[in-house]
Amino acid sequence: MAQGEVVPPQPLAFQPYLESLLAELRAQEPAVVLGVAVAVVVVILTIVFLHAFLGKKSTRSAVLLIGLCDSGKTLLFSRLLCGKYKRTQTSITESSALYRTKGDRGTAWTLCDLPGHESLRPQYIEKAIVFVVDSAIFQKEVRDVAELLYSLLTDTVVVKNAPALLVACNKQDVTMAKSAKLIQQQLEKELNTLRVTRSAALSAQDGSPGGTTVHLGKKGKDFEFSQLPMRMEFVECSARGNKGEEGDADIADLETCLAKLA
Amino acid sequence: MLDFFAIFSKGGIVLWCFHEAGVTESFTGPVNALIRSVILQERSGNNSYTHNALTLKYKLDNEFELVFVVGFQKILTLTYVDKLIDDVQRHFRDRYKNELEEKGALKLLLNSFEFNDEFQTLLRMAEESSRSRGPVLMKSFEKSQKSQKTVKSMIETKGGDKSKEQGGKNKKGNKKEGELCGGCCSFPCRLIVSVKGNYLDILCLEVLNFSTFTLANRKSPKPQKPKGKEKRVWDMGGSSTKELDYSASNGGNSLETASFSKDIMEDLVGVAKKGGFGGMFGMLKGLVGSKSLTQEDMEPVLEKMRDHLIAKNVAADIASQLCNSVGKKLEGKVMGTFTTVASTVKQALHDSLVQILQPKRRVDVLRDVLEARAQRRPYVITFCGVNGVGKSTNLAKISFWLIENGFSVLIAACDTFRAGAVEQLRTHQRRLNSLHPPEKHSGRQVVQLYEKGYGKDAAGIAMEAIAYARNQGFDVVLVDTAGRMQDNTPLMTALAKLIAVNMPDLVLFVGEALVGNEAVDQLVKFNQALADHSMSDKPRLIDGIILTKFDTIDDKVGAAISMTYITGQPIVFVGTGQTYNDLRSLNARAVVNTLMKA
Repeated sequence: MAQGEVVPPQPLAFQPYLESLLAELRAQEPAVVLGVAVAVVVVILTIVFLHAFLGKKSTRSAVLLIGLCDSGKTLLFSRLLCGKYKRTQTSITESSALYRTKGDRGTAWTLCDLPGHESLRPQYIEKAIVFVVDSAIFQKEVRDVAELLYSLLTDTVVVKNAPALLVACNKQDVTMAKSAKLIQQQLEKELNTLRVTRSAALSAQDGSPGGTTVHLGKKGKDFEFSQLPMRMEFVECSARGNKGEEGDADIADLETCLAKLA
Repeated sequence: MLDFFAIFSKGGIVLWCFHEAGVTESFTGPVNALIRSVILQERSGNNSYTHNALTLKYKLDNEFELVFVVGFQKILTLTYVDKLIDDVQRHFRDRYKNELEEKGALKLLLNSFEFNDEFQTLLRMAEESSRSRGPVLMKSFEKSQKSQKTVKSMIETKGGDKSKEQGGKNKKGNKKEGELCGGCCSFPCRLIVSVKGNYLDILCLEVLNFSTFTLANRKSPKPQKPKGKEKRVWDMGGSSTKELDYSASNGGNSLETASFSKDIMEDLVGVAKKGGFGGMFGMLKGLVGSKSLTQEDMEPVLEKMRDHLIAKNVAADIASQLCNSVGKKLEGKVMGTFTTVASTVKQALHDSLVQILQPKRRVDVLRDVLEARAQRRPYVITFCGVNGVGKSTNLAKISFWLIENGFSVLIAACDTFRAGAVEQLRTHQRRLNSLHPPEKHSGRQVVQLYEKGYGKDAAGIAMEAIAYARNQGFDVVLVDTAGRMQDNTPLMTALAKLIAVNMPDLVLFVGEALVGNEAVDQLVKFNQALADHSMSDKPRLIDGIILTKFDTIDDKVGAAISMTYITGQPIVFVGTGQTYNDLRSLNARAVVNTLMKA
């Protein structure tokens, strides 16, 4: 190159290195080159597998315990698993354990107790959802309960899989507890109203729809739980039991329903 | 003297508890309040919390997912509690290590944790140690430092270095003055004595009597030495210039897994620089095996996250409180395989930000309006905020949304101060009525304005407007108030009176998204004023936040976090422009993604 000539910029910084590498490879025997290539492919495949393996969450079917705060999910969880009464506090994180149904078949699934304050659910493939309702203060909380149930029923994952939904009306040992039939009627009425108000909700600031795109039940008719694609059942139970801490819990109905699911 | 001590898992099962004999109330209520207001709202920076008459101190064990809580009466100050919690934690872990290490809640349920005897021993030891330390005696005069000083050294001299001879020592100068003056410390005397006959100085001193305090505070004069020019030392200057070298790797990790390898590369490079082979091996072991996080590991990452949040317009002390709380939540946690410290911390911060932005209560204005309509009363919404944030504009947007959904609205013009406020609302009313003409709504105007001109009492106008709405059957009353600065006490009192007297269903604080650290001050003072000036013991505080001018910030969305963190109330509406359609709701995930993006 003469002095004063402008040198054009190198297109690739490692062009010389690539060339030297290729020259090296050609100098080696073909077996070595083949070995190197196989090693590289194996490493790439391992990385891909590890990524896929680590990225996937548990796919075992699970039964989720969902409900508002203080509805009795953790105590129900403890009663179902080992029948003992345990004092509980507000759950901060979820807890899960293997649950074996009573009866001959004795299938096992994961029973998962989610905290009440979280509206985010982990990506389990849900086999069934147990929606725990506090029957004693249901009248005051009916709108909150209905909102949680509505967001559950319109969640895209739930709509796709249509797991069985079991509404457990807990705290039946309290004298003012409402019956399952009453709770069902009230929830139907409330969900009917919610269909209208939630679809009129504002969209989010980034354009995603604030309301839900799924319409519950049939258009034009009042909402009823029988219109849903999934199986729904209402059971009464009492995690604490009538005799307080020492006695057994009154969850026989719940257990038979769970056994039927298997 | 403790009321109770409880150990429970993060999943909610109480493993062991201790009740002081004679304490009848169960501890479930206070502990639930602690969990809801502190741990779940990411305020776990300092480890104590007051609830009614109890003080609760707590400690999180993140390795085994346990929480240790102790409660005692607020009026007592027990010094041994912190140490007791640490001791109990250590002993409990050591004793039940096997049971706690099992994954799954079954082990926790099946085992019973008998800890009473050990706890009694630990409690006795702690109480004895605090008792043996005894009350601190006052120091006698002989032991104090004052008795060591000589009288001469206590005599103050003024500006001695200028008036002293070269090379004269302090003591010599002082002794001379002491002899002259007999050691008296009265001011004018001292100053005249100490000055070496410099008339100008005497005059200045006598005139500036009030500033003699500052002069007197000067200690004995500095030693005389011909000094060269000293290097200037700045307060915030730092000690070395190495920190100013930014030619190393730039930050900017994002949360996606694509950055995971980049994190590893950074860690590798960092370790290679530091420890060579041993360090690299240790880092690889840390990457693969189970390593528990310590505060030192997390400190640089938390520092970086704090600066990142502040750069995104989160208020400074909120950012540091958040980072402290996330640090407390992760301390001692065992990392999974192939996760770096940075990614764990970022994930935890992401989760806690989403948790903060999620509404704690139901936010459905339409449903509540329907409920109020069923009860044959109007639903009253009040807008408050500082000047110029967009109260009237967003009021018009909300009334548009409501009339689109078939409700009738009464606007109460309680801004009787600002010129043109009433006319502005009247213009909005006319426009809204032309968009939804009365012919289509059974001959009735969907939006009406209730105004009484300027200069009148806002609370009175609001009360009359609500009564009018009840008579005429309006569904919603929107009360527009004047903007006011948060430290303007008479105006804050007036606002508190308006809210206390009229008891609106929803009190919305309107805040603009451009605000930075001011948001904290505004919200705290507004809430304080509302709490102070209300007559009842359950004062109406701010129920929700409207975040306005969201279209003016690109990705500096931190104001949303500051406001929800301070009040704990949800963001009900987001204003994104000045036309009637620019009203949105908040999508927590989208905001947090924008916030955490590099």
